[in-house]
Amino acid sequence: MSTATLAPSSRLSGLFAPARVQATVIQIATVVMFLLACVSIDNFASAANLSSILYAASTVGIAAVGLASVTISGNLFALSLGATAAFSSIVFIMASGLGVWPALAASLLLGVAFGALQGLVVGWLRCNAIISTIAAGSLIAGLATWVSDGRTVLAEGGPTWLGSGTIVPGVPWQAVLFAAIVIVGEVLMQRTRAGWELRLRGTNPDAAELAGLRVTRMVILSYVLAGAGAAIAGALIAAQSGTGNLRVGADLDFSAIAAMLVGGIAIGGGRGRIIDVASGTLFLAVLTNILLVNNFAYEVQLMVKGLAVLVAVTAGALLARKSR
Amino acid sequence: MTLLKHIAENPLLALRWLLLLAMGTLFTLANAYFLAPGNLYALGETFALLGLVALGLALTMLAGEFDLSGGAMVAVAGLIMLKCGTESALFGLLAALGFGALVGLFNGLVTLKLNVSSLVTTLGVMILLSGFAVWLEGGQAVSFANYDLTDAFNMDWFAVLSPRSTLTIALFVATGLMLAFTRMGRDIIAAGSHRKAATMAGANVPGAIITSFVLSGLFAALAGALLAITLGRASSTFGANLLLQAASAAILGGVALSGGVGRPFGVAIGVLVLAVLNNGLGLIGASSPAILLLNGAVLLIAVLAGGAPAAWLRARLA
Repeated sequence: MSTATLAPSSRLSGLFAPARVQATVIQIATVVMFLLACVSIDNFASAANLSSILYAASTVGIAAVGLASVTISGNLFALSLGATAAFSSIVFIMASGLGVWPALAASLLLGVAFGALQGLVVGWLRCNAIISTIAAGSLIAGLATWVSDGRTVLAEGGPTWLGSGTIVPGVPWQAVLFAAIVIVGEVLMQRTRAGWELRLRGTNPDAAELAGLRVTRMVILSYVLAGAGAAIAGALIAAQSGTGNLRVGADLDFSAIAAMLVGGIAIGGGRGRIIDVASGTLFLAVLTNILLVNNFAYEVQLMVKGLAVLVAVTAGALLARKSR
Repeated sequence: MTLLKHIAENPLLALRWLLLLAMGTLFTLANAYFLAPGNLYALGETFALLGLVALGLALTMLAGEFDLSGGAMVAVAGLIMLKCGTESALFGLLAALGFGALVGLFNGLVTLKLNVSSLVTTLGVMILLSGFAVWLEGGQAVSFANYDLTDAFNMDWFAVLSPRSTLTIALFVATGLMLAFTRMGRDIIAAGSHRKAATMAGANVPGAIITSFVLSGLFAALAGALLAITLGRASSTFGANLLLQAASAAILGGVALSGGVGRPFGVAIGVLVLAVLNNGLGLIGASSPAILLLNGAVLLIAVLAGGAPAAWLRARLA
């Protein structure tokens, strides 16, 4: 937020201000890593590989953008996203006979409803944010099991534009949707009254309340956005695979948290931008893909992802200290 | 009226006793086997696994931090125990415990030196450990040929206590005593209550934070190693849901996320509530959606007891 108010000459130093330095470094690292991989790894820049990176990034990224609104507003994180995505994938497939848009709308409605309920419990009833969302995750998974009878549901029709269509070779429609959501989220968070109130709630909850901001409504809004993000992620996974089941989104919760934190969102709230979520997601997606095309096993990918979280956060903390 | 007042002042405390009592009665009525020694023994085994992880997590929460890596540590420690313990089980156990303590030390040092929320650093460690577990497992089932030891761990004392559950109860008591009567215990609580004030007052805050993380790593590693010995096998999938359950148990047991509040006795009750719920539902043959829904409902009741509705009740009765 400092860059927006500073004069153009100080924009560059704004990028490396203590609050922004981790986000800037990750953005640069993502671009450098991507370019190096394009040059040095055969077939990395092929349309098929680029779209596989973007498919992976789009689902996690959309969930992470929604989650970031919860984190930025000061409620740490939600642990119900995986369950929401699983239920959403089942609903999406069940409604897919009606067409892609109605199915997407049904998924979205589900996510918004569950998000709103959690927002009410945390924001209005003032309940513990972490355990409320763990409880919600269990309830949502229970309902999803009941609805699907614990089985995988299969789509009737063939592949759809949302599942496997590309706008140009290498850029799937899912990535376009991801980009649109990031842009809308960024504008919402940085340029609207609701966005300002949401961020202030995260910076200092007590002060935000005393100043008469719509704190409760903002908390509810943040959970609605998180639920919606998780639901869209679930729908996209379902559209890709043509199946919906309880395993969808099994590691979505922690993947989304990791992407968000690597990008430079502060876990304590109030700091970080939606655009940072996108760069954190792309950073991890490109890194994972490089390991994948070099035939590293799943466990190595996991370990590198864990290290990336540690290194990004460590570097962010050290750099912020130095430039202070 | 005094009882009502007491309940209103500590809604969570009263609620977890009430939940435990109600569930115990219901399950006994539904299936008399619930109170049979065999089932109580099984409950103790669940208590041992979840309890140790929850106790470690609670210690870090008391110090104002949060250790997300406990669940993944259970899987890694079990695999280390069996991989290093083929020649000598003691060596395997020591290797697993040493690894747990080392990771705890790392978590503590990183949190302390970087001044970053431990939610973030331990998330990285958690992902790292789960990858390490898959690597250790190497795509094969890891089993334990030391049947004598496995048998020894599956014996019972007074029909209901296993070596595991006895050890776990002992560690709960020891941790409770440590927190109540030692300087380190008071430092841990002080570090979680108000860190600046604690430092000013001369509490050893860095030592307290590192101790809580080392104990958390040790307890989780012990839980994993004992599980591996008892089952005679280990897998990278052990402990998958343990972290969320441990966090639920700790918060249900009255440990505050903001730090400084909570007691091991409360955590034990929180663990028992979850253990009894899942054991009892399994016993009466509940379907998997019902188990998930009831787990969520119990957590939701507990969480509501800590929120605005309870505060409203408190204001009405006071």
